[in-house]
Amino acid sequence: MPVERDDCIVIGVPMTKMARGLNPKLGRMIANMMYVGLLAEILGLDQGKLTKALAQQFKGKARAIELNLEAINLGRAFISENVDISDIPFRIEARDVDDDVFLIEGNEAVALGSHYGGVGLLSWYPITPSSSLAEALIAYIPEIRVDENGDHLCAVIQAEDELAAAGMVVGGGWAGSRATTATSGPGSSLMSECIGLAYFAEIPSVIWDINRTGPSTGLPTRTQQGDLTMLYEASHGDTAHPVLIPGNMEECFEFGWKAFDIAERLQTLVFGFSDLDLGMNRWACKGFEYPETPMDRGKVLRTQAELDAIENYGRYRDVDGDGIPYRTLPGSGLDPILYRGTGHDEDGIYSEKPEVYQALMMRLKRKMDNCRTWLPQPVLREEDEKEVGIIYFGSMENSIQEIDDILEDEIGRKVSQCRVRSLPLSPVVEQFIRDHETVIVLEINRDGQLYGILRRELPNDLIGRVHSAAYSDGLPPRARHYSELIKGVLKEVAE
Amino acid sequence: MSIKLNVIDLPKDDYTGGKSTLCPGCGHDQISTVIINSAWENGLKPEKIAKMSGIGCSSKTPAYFLGKSHGFNTVHGRMPAVTTGAAMGNRDLTFLAVSGDGDSASIGIGQFIHAVRRNLDMVYVLENNGVYGLTKGQYSATAVKGSKKKKGAVNKFQPIDLCKLAVNLGCTFVARSFSGSKKQLTALMKAAMSHKGFALIDVISPCVTFNNNDESLRSYTYVKDNDVELHAYDYIPTYSPIEGVEVPEGEFHDITLFDGSTLRLETIGSDHDPTDAVAAMAALHNAEMEDKHVTGLLYFDPDTSTAIEDQCLVETPLAEVSDDVMRPSASSLEVLNARFRGKD
Ligand SMILES: Cc1ncc(C[n+]2csc(CCOP(=O)(O)OP(=O)(O)O)c2C)c(N)n1
Ligand code: SF4
Ligand SMILES: [Mg+2]
Repeated sequence: MPVERDDCIVIGVPMTKMARGLNPKLGRMIANMMYVGLLAEILGLDQGKLTKALAQQFKGKARAIELNLEAINLGRAFISENVDISDIPFRIEARDVDDDVFLIEGNEAVALGSHYGGVGLLSWYPITPSSSLAEALIAYIPEIRVDENGDHLCAVIQAEDELAAAGMVVGGGWAGSRATTATSGPGSSLMSECIGLAYFAEIPSVIWDINRTGPSTGLPTRTQQGDLTMLYEASHGDTAHPVLIPGNMEECFEFGWKAFDIAERLQTLVFGFSDLDLGMNRWACKGFEYPETPMDRGKVLRTQAELDAIENYGRYRDVDGDGIPYRTLPGSGLDPILYRGTGHDEDGIYSEKPEVYQALMMRLKRKMDNCRTWLPQPVLREEDEKEVGIIYFGSMENSIQEIDDILEDEIGRKVSQCRVRSLPLSPVVEQFIRDHETVIVLEINRDGQLYGILRRELPNDLIGRVHSAAYSDGLPPRARHYSELIKGVLKEVAE
Repeated sequence: MSIKLNVIDLPKDDYTGGKSTLCPGCGHDQISTVIINSAWENGLKPEKIAKMSGIGCSSKTPAYFLGKSHGFNTVHGRMPAVTTGAAMGNRDLTFLAVSGDGDSASIGIGQFIHAVRRNLDMVYVLENNGVYGLTKGQYSATAVKGSKKKKGAVNKFQPIDLCKLAVNLGCTFVARSFSGSKKQLTALMKAAMSHKGFALIDVISPCVTFNNNDESLRSYTYVKDNDVELHAYDYIPTYSPIEGVEVPEGEFHDITLFDGSTLRLETIGSDHDPTDAVAAMAALHNAEMEDKHVTGLLYFDPDTSTAIEDQCLVETPLAEVSDDVMRPSASSLEVLNARFRGKD
């Protein structure tokens, strides 16, 4: 069937006939390799690389390698005999590969990072796309988390559901170990009640949400950044939780261990936020860096002397003025209290007094406000023009360069970029917005969730310059969609 | 006057808690007293006990006992999970949990079942009154079919018997008792504290406010009159060896508990063998048919491994392992990086 398209170069090749000629029985199976040969010849792909790839694929099966090589050569010969490739403007060139760069999935990077954070409990309930995080975490235990007797330093429980998984994480944190779970939107929804408990009783806990397309069961094998608002505000009443948002493999690892430091320092529940695209696809990684600082275990009093040194100690008393109280651990015999999800005073005693409750809630808010400056800060790439600023986060990192290129080509303007790496937002984000005339927030969801958070938290005079470019169809972000949305916003602003 | 001390030289005051705010006469308060006495008599270290509970009148009681122990009054029905996580973090703690029939038989039944299945090493005291006390008297899933509250309709549903369920799931210690049977409950409580594995004590604990009319099968008078004890009990701790005691042959049955202490069952009536799950189910079924409560140690299995043992964890509680042991070495990361780069 002739192809009549002017955007295609059409070369007719009698594939089946040629393949049968090579091997009557296996003809159909080797036709694809002939195709490889055709393309290799057209694009100028080095035969050495192909031979190496074949050897890898068919480890030691000499006959298979030989047959496939013959097929490739047949393809190459057809082109060199019948086609003038100087008419075809496409060539492959070898690039300078950095030997240190490798490919890895975000989920595996987070799992490894968690181990280097000294995780002591993984409790999980399988759900795509988070299962491979839990499975990778489990797989590394025998290699890097056993003592000299072969005894484990990390417990693993496949929980009965996410309600239980979250409860176990809270229990582990309460006991003084570092506990985590990995889930996706439906699981995070179920965990909501225990998340509030961790927030209110101030129990360090870590939950990784690997976002898939919601709502409900949604598109379980597709990606989205649709859980952001839910995580930030998860559970009933006034709550807020730090959300760490890695945008590449190195950060997946780094935030994997850092999440525990932050949770213990703040005595609260911390979310890691990734998505199917980042978590389950393989991305380039320059290598993982060993944590540069010792573990931050936060304000834990482990001895009577430490306890005595705190003047006017109370489990929930803000003696340092940073909103973060001291705690003692069960088993230590130091200041034993009954932890509770009900209202409590500074000593942990049940209380419904209005002024006690209100002061407690304001202290919790203070903890959250104070961490804005030391959570992972945004990554900026600012242009001198300071006209247009783009704010984005997470897996959008993989498309931003292309979006940037398209914009430069098509509107002839360079845009500044600000990649948000945590919630609550850093003051650096506010400054970025103040520094740019028009700011557009790119995200992979329908409603512009980060945009919504910005509108709520920014000073009134800045709200007007922030615009949303949100889009979600389940697929990873395509640069073209976002560049068009950005162009649309710029046109509107100009009008 | 000298103060009486227990085997670890502590006065009973070290095991008491705050003043109860429950309704006067509530069965739950009687259970708290038994918990205090049992922990004191067993010589448990208060700082090594973790008191766990969900939400309900029953779950409020950890505030009323063991004031020198850490505790966690968690959320409704989720205590088993929080306890599981805490046990993984600190395997040296003795977990002493209380829950209600709403907390365990309705909202938390899944977590109850799975904690039993994992044989989590804990004492699980179910303070069973057949109603939701805290939310003011709605039927719970353990309310007996046909029973009627002071006000309101007849309960139409088959009750869930958590002892039956537990036996079925292979729970390693299943007992039923009554908050008013102080002696029996104390012996069972002490035995449960000495047991290695999940020890369920389902304690019928009348709610004097919402479920105490005489036709209720969980009212005080009903249970007093219709309670079939499987055995009379005596708990003999490790520190008082039993060799010297005169034992009339055939009338006692001794069960050795994990820590070496003994639960002596004095056989009265039928010869119930607590290692026989079928006999336990039959005893529960027969009692139900006769509108009676069968109390005592129904089932016991000292051999099944616990949730912690199944993890092959280091001996030291993970919460106490030093940071540099918990964090793998820098060289291990170099090895991994090299492997990822294909340079190993
Ligand atoms: C998620 C949730 N749903 C509902 C409630 C309200 N609630 C509190 S206690 C309770 C029932 C308690 O009954 P039970 O466990 O039998 O304890 P009791 O008060 O009878 O001792 C309910 C429904 C709650 N606290 N949390
Ligand atoms: S309402 Fe019932 S269960 Fe609750 S404290 Fe009163 S008597 Fe006890
Ligand atoms: Mg009840």
